[in-house]
Amino acid sequence: MRYVKLKKEKIREFLLALQDYGELYAPIKVSEKYFDFRRITNEQVDEVVLDYNRTLRPPRRFFFPEKEVLFTFNSKKVEMYENKEAFTSEPVVLFGVHACDIVGLRIMDSRFIDDQPDPYYRARREKGIIIGISCLPDEYCFCNVRRAEFVDSGFDLFLSEVEDGYVIRVGSVKGHKIIDATEHLYVKVTKKDSDDLTAFDVKKSKMFTVSGNWDSLRYTLELNDEHPVIWMRESEKCLGCGNCTITCPTCRCYDVKDYPNLDGETGVRVRIWDSCQFREHGLVAGGHNFRPTKESRFKNRYMCKNAYCKEVTTAYCVGCGRCTYFCPAGINYKQNLIEIRGGI
Amino acid sequence: MTEESHRRYIPDGQDNLYDTHKCRVLRVYKQTEMDKVFLFRFVDQEVGKNWKFKPGQFVELSLPGIGEVPISICSSAMRIGFFQLCIRKAGRVTTKIHELKPGDIVGIRGPYGNGFPMEKFFGRNLLLVAAGLGMAPLRSVFLYAIDNRWRFGDITIINSAKYERELLFARELEAMRDIAEAENIQIIQTVTREDSPNRLKGRASEHLDKVMIDPKNSTVALCGPPRMYKSMFEKLVEMNYDPRRIFVTLERRMKCGIGKCGHCNLGNSTSWKYACIDGPVFDYYDIISTPGMLE
Repeated sequence: MRYVKLKKEKIREFLLALQDYGELYAPIKVSEKYFDFRRITNEQVDEVVLDYNRTLRPPRRFFFPEKEVLFTFNSKKVEMYENKEAFTSEPVVLFGVHACDIVGLRIMDSRFIDDQPDPYYRARREKGIIIGISCLPDEYCFCNVRRAEFVDSGFDLFLSEVEDGYVIRVGSVKGHKIIDATEHLYVKVTKKDSDDLTAFDVKKSKMFTVSGNWDSLRYTLELNDEHPVIWMRESEKCLGCGNCTITCPTCRCYDVKDYPNLDGETGVRVRIWDSCQFREHGLVAGGHNFRPTKESRFKNRYMCKNAYCKEVTTAYCVGCGRCTYFCPAGINYKQNLIEIRGGI
Repeated sequence: MTEESHRRYIPDGQDNLYDTHKCRVLRVYKQTEMDKVFLFRFVDQEVGKNWKFKPGQFVELSLPGIGEVPISICSSAMRIGFFQLCIRKAGRVTTKIHELKPGDIVGIRGPYGNGFPMEKFFGRNLLLVAAGLGMAPLRSVFLYAIDNRWRFGDITIINSAKYERELLFARELEAMRDIAEAENIQIIQTVTREDSPNRLKGRASEHLDKVMIDPKNSTVALCGPPRMYKSMFEKLVEMNYDPRRIFVTLERRMKCGIGKCGHCNLGNSTSWKYACIDGPVFDYYDIISTPGMLE
């Protein structure tokens, strides 16, 4: 264990110091309604928002980019050359990640760093630095019922808000090194801070609109596989745009495409985020589609998100609320789950 | 489901899992108007020597600039250093593959998937039922069984297709008839949509009564279009085949082959599976616990 306290007035200095460890990204306001992680340089430090609700794009994009060159190739020689960018790039320092998103990253890890690890993801992830921050829920959040409102691992530092600053918990060796190097910024944690943390938690738990534990939702979803109303009614609204999967912190489907250059010889093999809400997702050569209807694709996402991730022991959905918040058709994922469950 | 034989198959250490080994096309056999069989050898002999697979596994065949496709291996797993792929001209990449000539080079990575748990098949009769392109992975099982003939009881293979001209490996099976008879192997070939002088008429399930093996002590492997599975399953159970000994192999869209890209997902929230690492071969318990598998 190691805890230090960062006073509110020192946040600026703390952020400036973080730049020594790589490219700093932190949430800033990008439009009237939305926040996003953006590159922070000296001039933008004051724009960093500490009490944002949720970012437009999930943090996974720093380790699993929207579009990434895997190989360059020579089609005449039938040779592929690994793109070294992921291995040589500057580490990413991600500041201000909410607990649910950190769980989301751990879920990503469980698929990408398994017994057959993805080299690009692993390289980026292992050198990246994650600095979490505590938050208060809005009406879209339901991380509590997903057991993702609190994290114990997956971060290097975690900032928990207290009255006049933040209690920082160190979660890794990298975290220790950052604290060592910036020792002068911190003060000791007092009993009052500990009480403040409890008060914050009590306040937070009262703000959630749902309570309990939704792990059994896996069963109820399956038992309502043939629900007479909900699947049809909700998928009718769906535009199939894929916003819910693009903003999801745990969606990881990707497509691989070869883009030849005009010389007819060289080119790049690229992977791009894909979405199960697209018609082509389940399509195989010969024209058979395993998820031919909008309803089947809609249901597929609900089943996938509520499946059990055994490495993290939670559902793949962490309750961040993005898929509802950013849905252009106004489909309320949380409300639908409550309806399927037959109550809160 | 989780027993030893069904465990995930991890290919030998490769720095980058998406990188391919170079393979040379040695021969191209025309099977039907749409299907060709390609014989490959690894350019790097060392890789070839150590490259082993199980019947029912697949490889990702890569043509840089065109793309990558998952293809079942159709040759015997007992032959080291060579392998065959039966490829139907069905899409953009496979059309390009069909233009390959002996001497051409392709990229191969794999083998992927769990494959058939062959050691569970030992000491039992074996019934193989293939429909259409399903003959490709089952040929691998069939040839493996012939190469290890003493490990199996009686063997029956049913090969079916819509038309005579689409019947895969029909001539090969025909040529084997004499050996098959001596080895107690029954070969049934049937076409569903036309009358063909040398073939039976009708679906594979309609000829199950002609199968000579004893259902009680048998293992069944099915491969065909999804709609065949359900009726086949019901019929087999009716005929006293042990449902726990029926295996199916599934086709899905796959990009990575190693449980990353997400396209081959199937099932519901408590039985979430990727066909590429949890399959493509599934057994009875997978089927009853995973909705949509036989659709």
